[in-house]
Amino acid sequence: MPAPLLGDTSFVDATWIMIVKSILIFVVILTLVPVVLLAERKLLGRFQQRYGPNRVGPYGSMQPLADVGKLLSKQGFRPKGAVPILYEIAPALTVFSAVITLAILPFGDVQGGWGLYGIDVPIGVLYFFAFSSIAFYGLLLGGWASGSKYSFLGAMRSAAQLISYEIAMGLSLLGVVMMAGSLSLVDIVKAQGEIWFIVPQIVGFLIFLVAGFAETNRVPFDLPEADAELVAGYSTEYGGMRFGSYFFAEYIEILIISGIASTMFLGGWMGPGPSWLDPIWMLAKMLFLTFFFVWIRATLPRFRYDQLMTFGWKILLPLATLNVLVTAVLVVVT
Amino acid sequence: MVELAFFVGAFGAVGGAVAVVALRNPFYSVLALVVHLVFLAGIFLLLRAQFLAAAQIVVYAGAVMVIYVFVAAYVGGIEEPMFDSSPQLRIIGPILAVALFIEISIAVLGSSLTALGTEGTDKIGAGFGTPEAVGKLMLEDFLIAFEAASILLLVAAVAAIILAGRKRPEKKVT
Repeated sequence: MPAPLLGDTSFVDATWIMIVKSILIFVVILTLVPVVLLAERKLLGRFQQRYGPNRVGPYGSMQPLADVGKLLSKQGFRPKGAVPILYEIAPALTVFSAVITLAILPFGDVQGGWGLYGIDVPIGVLYFFAFSSIAFYGLLLGGWASGSKYSFLGAMRSAAQLISYEIAMGLSLLGVVMMAGSLSLVDIVKAQGEIWFIVPQIVGFLIFLVAGFAETNRVPFDLPEADAELVAGYSTEYGGMRFGSYFFAEYIEILIISGIASTMFLGGWMGPGPSWLDPIWMLAKMLFLTFFFVWIRATLPRFRYDQLMTFGWKILLPLATLNVLVTAVLVVVT
Repeated sequence: MVELAFFVGAFGAVGGAVAVVALRNPFYSVLALVVHLVFLAGIFLLLRAQFLAAAQIVVYAGAVMVIYVFVAAYVGGIEEPMFDSSPQLRIIGPILAVALFIEISIAVLGSSLTALGTEGTDKIGAGFGTPEAVGKLMLEDFLIAFEAASILLLVAAVAAIILAGRKRPEKKVT
């Protein structure tokens, strides 16, 4: 077994297997993104009593492909007031930080000499938080470098929102970490053999989902891109595939939040049936939560800005802290 | 591979640090500091301090620097320096910097370098730098120091709230 380069892990694959796995994860998730995109538009249509896209291909299934073709063929435009290099780096940074988090989502245990995950790092959840905090710079730089007040205000809102909700999100996962006794996502799934953590940690699960909506700038927390007030927030000045990158990253982040939530609370890859079904169970749970994201988008109106802040700091944060305290006492007592 | 990772991390960290003081625009300075912190986290990873690396990014790049970027972006765009540096400062500043550099060099050459082994990171034992190991150190071996630091932070936070808090308008007595 080769020694890992950057820290200890419980299971290490050969280098070529790692490369194959990276490509596999990439292909699966990147194929899922257009599917989710289409599913969202179809579902939103159904929720609003209309058809949704149904012209391109059978049942509109080629719509995402057509969209990408359109975005790619657009002119790479940069506004006059934009800061040259930062304006180009910002969307790439967002995509980078979204994609890199895919590595820690576990799709199964070690099977036949293959760990069915990218890497199993002992810092697990912290890895997710580290890169979601890098993602923030993608949004903020994009808004700042566009040289437009709408973009700037959108970026500032997203900054304030991210800071406010990241704390609640971290605290909501702490209960699970305490019960599992490990930060590693693989260990956390294994600790759910008897009971999924959604049952004892229902409060943590709800807080995590709410904070997850806020982190991905989704309705009802989509104030950074509130189109009635800010045109399109931080992505106002972006067009073509640079806008496409932001859009793309948002959907990967939704998948990641769903993946982390499935892993931490819904038993990850666990499910009835033979062990080769494990990755499918994991994907099914992820897609179910992604459906939930769409459902909420079709159901709830947008918050007002002060309501968003008050909700984050005065309700979610104390609730998450209380959850951590109660869990800590229970873990020690039992 | 390790050497390559080290030099990427080292050049990134030093380059970021130099850029912080060299750039005129405060917003770019803050961004350079973020770059520096991220590359420093990479160096921590090379030293097998995974928890430290993650904490570095989450706490510094993800929380502290976010506030800095926030402020610099709001105030930002000031190209001219905030105040005219007096001629005395222009002389004293570099002298102090050189003195500090010499002092650190003496300290490093005198003590720290001798503590370095040539065995590499394989010898430090499994589990070094994992959250478990760091947690044991903080909450069992150095509990008092850890708690003292946390109380200090709490006091500082309360003080910041009191200092920054708006004074409430006094109620009129009728």
